[in-house]
Amino acid sequence: MSGFTTHSKLSVIASLLAATAISSLPLLAQSGMNTTSLTHEVVLDGLDNPWDMAFLDDGTMLFTEKCKGLSVRMPDGTVNALYGVAETAGYAANGADLFCEGQAGMMGVAFDPDFANNRGIYVYSTSNMSDPHTNRLMRFTVSDDFASVSDRTDIIDDVPYKMAASDHPFGGPGAHNGGRVRFSADGALWLTTGDTHNGEVPQSPTMMGSKVIRIDTDGNAHADNTPPEGFDARTYTYGHRNVQGIAFHPVTGQAITAEHGPWHSDEITILENGGNAGWDPRPNMAGRADCPDNYCGYSPNQEEGMNRYERAAFMPMTDFDTYPDAMPPVWNNNGWSQGMSSAAFLDGDAWGEWNGAMVVGIMGIGFGGTPIGQRLDVIHFNEDVTDVEDVTEMTLPMESGRFRSVVMGPDGSLYTSIDEGTIYKLTPGG
Amino acid sequence: MFKCCLLTVVTSVWTGALWADTTDESSVSATIDVEAAEAIFRKSCRACHGNKAQGASSYPALADLEPAYIATQLERYRAGEKIGPNSILMISHAKRLSDEDIANISVYVATAFD
Repeated sequence: MSGFTTHSKLSVIASLLAATAISSLPLLAQSGMNTTSLTHEVVLDGLDNPWDMAFLDDGTMLFTEKCKGLSVRMPDGTVNALYGVAETAGYAANGADLFCEGQAGMMGVAFDPDFANNRGIYVYSTSNMSDPHTNRLMRFTVSDDFASVSDRTDIIDDVPYKMAASDHPFGGPGAHNGGRVRFSADGALWLTTGDTHNGEVPQSPTMMGSKVIRIDTDGNAHADNTPPEGFDARTYTYGHRNVQGIAFHPVTGQAITAEHGPWHSDEITILENGGNAGWDPRPNMAGRADCPDNYCGYSPNQEEGMNRYERAAFMPMTDFDTYPDAMPPVWNNNGWSQGMSSAAFLDGDAWGEWNGAMVVGIMGIGFGGTPIGQRLDVIHFNEDVTDVEDVTEMTLPMESGRFRSVVMGPDGSLYTSIDEGTIYKLTPGG
Repeated sequence: MFKCCLLTVVTSVWTGALWADTTDESSVSATIDVEAAEAIFRKSCRACHGNKAQGASSYPALADLEPAYIATQLERYRAGEKIGPNSILMISHAKRLSDEDIANISVYVATAFD
């Protein structure tokens, strides 16, 4: 926790209450659109770190707030609070074991593709039910009136959680949980996870952090997964750092991830079944010596900024020297790490030349010479979907923010949430 | 163009801990440079703490804190003290701040978004 979250015991504290009203900063009006002009609407505001959304065809929208819980926004705009984190008030039910800490809390959410028949939804959250604590993928049944959920079943209960602070930047408990939950068109359920600042996790065959997991709706391994021998059969890919974005190409069905880099090299990767993403921050290997708390992820200089290519040479995001067959990223954000998070494919003629392109949300705070990266990028793949052909930054019709989630809505608009507390709807044209 | 705003503030001084029962309140006047504070906020604070200092992700809200507390923490960061897991971020920003900058930004983030 940062020092600003709690008051320390001070002998003398001066409380300054300003009587002068200072107007809020104006929204940035922008013009000169690329390719497509966008308009925006505020769908919900004043939320607590909205992390993810999921839609039904009629516009019903599930959304999670990291430290508060799961809610649903009905097509008429009413919001029902369904399942709260810990003792959060106002929810129809609460998960007493759920909690938030640092980057951890309630994260990804998805509707079952057969929701009309089974009323199933899936939510990923941090839980203290186990010790050490874990991240869990929970399945619920939603009531007919969307006022409550029931039948919680934890179909995955063993994704690692970082219990204690470590000597690293952003080194508090709860780091690197991944967190996106998505269904592919064939009905498989996917969950992305993170390395929890633990050097052993990414290449571990059994610890389920740093993985892209493919399962059925009961949590069983997908029959077609082909991880290396000895790996947990739920593994689709491994060796990731912290995957918060996954989307499926609308034509080929390929799973494509968007991933945070380690102060260099955010990566977009077209996944290969059983593939290794090549992240291995263990000390005393690949030319490295000891590292703070046995995690080299921010080495060799974790106190301040340094040249991103020197960082990449020392601690590569994808280590081809050690793992020559690692999955090659198709884009690395020009070598920058700016907090690439969610991913979604644009769908609809209204998007013009962007129809069928992938959008990624970027959250970067800017540090140590890295430019602030709070933007939405449009990723154009080549015809064979083997490489990235072009990247275009969306010109936004509203102020930017930490774009945590991007989701295509049933109305042809792109919905995006920012950590600052807003869910926006972006519509082409207008 | 350099612009100053005169802020009338009330200073409540506790002679004990935060939760002490007795207070000794007195009114004082303070001047902050709002334009300078806004520039610091946009350059160094907004990207993590949010456009209204409401907090975002693991970066805490500032808008509901007391200016004196914010100033004290910034002085500690400026001195290189590690307080929490995001200290390297705060130290790198705070070490560029003057006393006047700290006074300006501390009042600004605690009051501009009320």
